Amino acid sequence: MSTTESATDGPPPDVTAAAEEAPMPAARQATKPSRADTTALIDRYAWHELLAIYAGVFVFLFFLLAPFIEGFLVSLKPLSQLFSSPYRFIPENASFAAYVTMWESVPGFARFIFNSIFISSVATIIVLLVVVPAAYAFARFDFKGAGLVLGGFLAVNMFSGAVLIIPLFRLMRSLGILNTYAAMIVPGVAFLIPSAIWLLRTYMIRIPKELHEAAYMDGAGYLYTLRRVILPIAMPGIIVVAITTFIGAYAQQFIFALTFNSKTEFMPLPVGLFAFFGKQEVVWNELMAASFVGIAPALIVIFFLQRYLVGGLTAGAVKQ
Amino acid sequence: MGELALRDIVKSFGHIEVVKRVSLDVSEGEFVVFVGPSGCGKSTLLRMIAGLEHTTSGDIKIDGARVNDLPPVKRGIAMVFQSYALYPHMSVYENIAFPLRVEKANEDAIRNKVEHAARILHLDQRLQQKPGMLSGGQRQRVAIGRAIVREPKIFLFDEPLSNLDAALRADMRIELTRLHKQLGATMIYVTHDQVEAMTMADRIVVLNAGHIAQVGTPMELYHEPQNVFVAQFIGNPKMNLLPVTCVGTGPEGVTVEMEGQRAVVPVEPGAAKPGQKLRLGIRPEHVRVGEGDLALTITPVVVERLGQQTIGYAPLADGASTFCLLLPGETPVVADRPLQIGMRAGDCHLFDAEDQAFRRRVDLSAFAA
Repeated sequence: MSTTESATDGPPPDVTAAAEEAPMPAARQATKPSRADTTALIDRYAWHELLAIYAGVFVFLFFLLAPFIEGFLVSLKPLSQLFSSPYRFIPENASFAAYVTMWESVPGFARFIFNSIFISSVATIIVLLVVVPAAYAFARFDFKGAGLVLGGFLAVNMFSGAVLIIPLFRLMRSLGILNTYAAMIVPGVAFLIPSAIWLLRTYMIRIPKELHEAAYMDGAGYLYTLRRVILPIAMPGIIVVAITTFIGAYAQQFIFALTFNSKTEFMPLPVGLFAFFGKQEVVWNELMAASFVGIAPALIVIFFLQRYLVGGLTAGAVKQ
Repeated sequence: MGELALRDIVKSFGHIEVVKRVSLDVSEGEFVVFVGPSGCGKSTLLRMIAGLEHTTSGDIKIDGARVNDLPPVKRGIAMVFQSYALYPHMSVYENIAFPLRVEKANEDAIRNKVEHAARILHLDQRLQQKPGMLSGGQRQRVAIGRAIVREPKIFLFDEPLSNLDAALRADMRIELTRLHKQLGATMIYVTHDQVEAMTMADRIVVLNAGHIAQVGTPMELYHEPQNVFVAQFIGNPKMNLLPVTCVGTGPEGVTVEMEGQRAVVPVEPGAAKPGQKLRLGIRPEHVRVGEGDLALTITPVVVERLGQQTIGYAPLADGASTFCLLLPGETPVVADRPLQIGMRAGDCHLFDAEDQAFRRRVDLSAFAA
């Protein structure tokens, strides 16, 4: 957005005094840019266009963020205020007390956060180990049934895990892995692999075929080529896949944890939050506080890796 | 070491035959250029020699041994790609060292060979840079360096200069010729650019629609093209063709008639019979203003002045074809004004109805190296 804003920036100091002494209203400045405006023509907008753009951005962002804002405000309120009438959005005597008390009212909470991250991390690692060679094979080699298998992956992707809960439950029971970490990791991995293969395959297809051929001409085997040539070039794509897989694993673990696990010590965060649902009442402010604390680690990781998300989407377009 | 023989090579993709029974012998140390229009099968042929494509039938032999089922390294072949195919995440040093690392050569040997190759290619100062920081010509030299370090018997080049601009291309042509002399290795080079073919090749292989149209030295192809395709493909602007009638043959050549004029074209008469329709070929650069053994009046509609040369284009009487003439730069040619031109019978080529050339009587000994 910075480029669009520069259309309304003040003139730089080297502009003549005449331009400085009569600052034009923003509207006229945008439609008739002064000579000092160095914004490319394609990036210049009239004031009403800018207004429409920002209004649009605001509407969508508000829609997305409103639950978070409300959740955060709730976490700041004392419990009594939550049921006051008329309802007030802005909390009186706001405090972070809930962020402290929640650790006492649910002692296992730190463990739930750890479980969540542990389950997602292990799932992500397994997915990457399986998906990287698979995506390479689907991207580079022509083999019988490749299209069929890829289509099958897409079809599997369309089933939500919830539909398959009962067969999965029976399967896990026969395998004897109910009430273990594996019960939550294995189905998660299975549902995450198809989309990860599709994502990484698309990225790997864009790696020029000649690189592979050049390595072959130089005597490198498939695994050597994968390790020394393809992996480093595909790294942005692999990080994108890792992030989306991690987020996916984090989001989907609720349903698996709820059905395949009943041991408190293995519970991930989303199920753990149920502990704030007391017998008589729900401790809403602590629940909200716990949600925010629980999301924080994942949020921080994604915040630092997000530049790869953008980089991963464009890196392959650069000519070698 | 470095002799290549192709025997009845055929390549089909599905039902389409791309390469049709190609046989060729390349002797050691030769610089052979495959040239032809797009889709003539030249790149496919090269990729089969490289081992990147499998042959549908036929044998590829290197130093007498059949190599059809051997991987490139075992064939003793290195290849330079059109797109350079450098590994973008590795330094120039690591790019050149890549084939040696695959072989698990020891570190000292790698350093010696990479530095040797870098000196030959003037890349000494660039070894620590990434390919992204290099110019097109430098990238191409890195790609060549990667081929050199393996010390292959045969080098393959797949249109290596087509991504470079014209000035750089001329420099790289000279550099490649120098490199060929220095290494003395067999080189096979694919291009669609006849200037590259003419300037660098010991022998040129002209391919047309999957088969070999002619193999010969550049001067043989220019002076003694065996058919219309080669005659028109080699030389720029391309050769003009005029319809003529055979009126007699003799030991001095074939007598032809064109618009009432007769001339004796000094070619082997072969199967020419009086009354046959033939085609007379004359290169634009052999046309001159004024009289000749055969004269023609044409009206150029477009005149291009390049300073050094002036090129004129005139429609011919049949309406479909264009007659092109290449004249010295200061010739006073004006568009849309009739012009009398002449041609020497000795400069002319003669083709029969099957597009095959009558053998010309020219002395090429002056061009023999």
